[in-house]
Amino acid sequence: MNPGLDAILFVPDAPVPFARAWRWQRLLQERLLADSRGPEALLILQHPRCYTLGRGASEAHLGFDPLAPPAPLFRIDRGGEVTHHLPGQLVAYPVLNLQRHGADLHLYLRQLEGAVLDVLGQLGLAGERIDGLTGVWLEGRKLAAIGVGARRWISQHGLALNVNCDLSGFAAIVPCGLADRAVGRLCDWLPGLGIDQVQPLLREAIATRFGLTLRPPVGTERLWG
Amino acid sequence: MATHDIFMPALSSTMTEGKIVEWLKKPGDPVARGESVLVVESDKADMDVEAFQAGFLAAVLMPAGQTAPVGETIGLIVETEAEIAAAQASAPSAPTAAPAVPVAVAVPVAAAVAAPAPPPVPAPAAVAAVAPPAVPSPPPAAGRLVATPRARKLATQLGVALESLRGSGPHGRIQAEDVELASGQSVSVPRVAEGTAAFAPAAAAAAGNGAAPAAASGQAFGRPGDTVAFNTLQQAVNRNMNASLGVPCFHVGYTITTDRLDALYKTVKGKGVTMTALLAKAVGVVLARHPQVNVAFTEAGMAYPDRVNVAVAVAMDDGGLLTPVLVDADKTDLYSLSRSWADLVARSRTKQLKPDEYSTGTFTLSNLGMFGVDRFDAILPPGTGAILAVAASRPTVVAGADGSIAVKRQMQVNLTADHRVIYGAHGAAFLKDLAALIETNPESLAL
Repeated sequence: MNPGLDAILFVPDAPVPFARAWRWQRLLQERLLADSRGPEALLILQHPRCYTLGRGASEAHLGFDPLAPPAPLFRIDRGGEVTHHLPGQLVAYPVLNLQRHGADLHLYLRQLEGAVLDVLGQLGLAGERIDGLTGVWLEGRKLAAIGVGARRWISQHGLALNVNCDLSGFAAIVPCGLADRAVGRLCDWLPGLGIDQVQPLLREAIATRFGLTLRPPVGTERLWG
Repeated sequence: MATHDIFMPALSSTMTEGKIVEWLKKPGDPVARGESVLVVESDKADMDVEAFQAGFLAAVLMPAGQTAPVGETIGLIVETEAEIAAAQASAPSAPTAAPAVPVAVAVPVAAAVAAPAPPPVPAPAAVAAVAPPAVPSPPPAAGRLVATPRARKLATQLGVALESLRGSGPHGRIQAEDVELASGQSVSVPRVAEGTAAFAPAAAAAAGNGAAPAAASGQAFGRPGDTVAFNTLQQAVNRNMNASLGVPCFHVGYTITTDRLDALYKTVKGKGVTMTALLAKAVGVVLARHPQVNVAFTEAGMAYPDRVNVAVAVAMDDGGLLTPVLVDADKTDLYSLSRSWADLVARSRTKQLKPDEYSTGTFTLSNLGMFGVDRFDAILPPGTGAILAVAASRPTVVAGADGSIAVKRQMQVNLTADHRVIYGAHGAAFLKDLAALIETNPESLAL
């Protein structure tokens, strides 16, 4: 019915250090705050090994000294507990004006879950939601972690989907503060599956869920540094 | 001198309470309008809460790490540095248990519509700038008492001295119940007009008194003998009402059978759909087919907006009313409309609407069904061509064309229209289609 909302897609090839991707998101958020009618944005990328904590997260869920972490540790402006990022995991950071998408943070979390469920469906897997445990699960294992932050309904942060990453780094933390829940990755169900196959599915699933028409950045929309 | 409350915001229609993650400002810090003051978390989502007034953070009533119900006052902002000490001194600091008492503030009232809608004109650049009504200030407090607005009004109505009360709310805040108890009144359930729409009268009748709950204590802004100054919002409403005297209006009414709409409402209510959203959606869909009823008079001619934006009148508990706008009511799905409406009502209550969220309506809906009224007519808001007054749906004995007799639920709707742009036949055709949709195919609204 609608032609779709104009959204800029950023898909860097190489893993992006967390601090840089965070800076990009804040820049995109600032642009949308300054011009609420401007284009929305979607970043899909991978991070080098790191850990992040939500603003209200407990350090009790870290299995290491926060002053001497095994990989860079960031306390960031999103909801949720600790999580781990690394190559082989796809992260998607939609910078959206949520007023165009229902102005409802819980609904937004459900839509992000929905996008991951759509990807799993495309791969022939039946992922599920678990009431009260935001994220996407497959046979009791958590495949995707979700945590978002917003200012004046402009979102940042988003979701992380484990594709074929090494899971050993999750052992150093209690992911999302859930001690009795295992973490999984897609390649355990679909051997040989790689980032290159999943990335376009995730991109399309998010575009469809949020009614976005994705396009590459032009001119000053490009992100540097 | 004025003190502004910071409320726990509603970040989702399914959010009942939120956790304060962090105060970004300390008491005494200056805050700019639009600057983030604290962070609230609900589920795995964080939101920065911003100051809607410039001034100073005077008090933090709920520390970081604590959870507060939506709408609860969690901090105070004052306008000048000199007021900080006074606000701090009178803000009770001993933490007490916080009962989750929602304070209902929004009651749709017809016949008066506040938002100064800029007249839609063909060239966007020429849209007249109409000053939005300033945010009404809470009553001035000498030696600040912490009380909900509803408690203050009740105290005035019932002649209870707030100074003599101990508040049962968080940090000793005086709640409406405290005032009612002090005056010997039975505690009434806070009335929430939105969402019950046409169905509340049945409940009131079942309670055996035949009167709407609100009748127990009619609203008044002053005591007998007083003359009370209009607040800013009331002044804005007055200007708009006076402007309507220059518009040649006519009224046309219709009786609509609502049994199928009622049945549909029962099935979607659990999904967060409100009657207001259902009616707005129905009106939006029919307006899209009747652009002549979505039109506005301008000096240049008949202005046809490029969208169907249904505004809905919501009365403010402290006087005046707003008309939050459901944008693209014809195209937006029912569930999104319901969520938008919940968000708009929550933010009207805390005076956090932006001008374009209450001034861009192209058609207005006013619903007094929850009071059981059988009919009324509304005053046309400036800059629009028509407003629809919706009364209660009530069981009625209906004679069929074949002489059969049946009991059906029926409601009366009454259209007020500017005859310069909308003629009787346009209004009547619109109502005929609206009735046909509601009577024969309401299910299509939920698709």
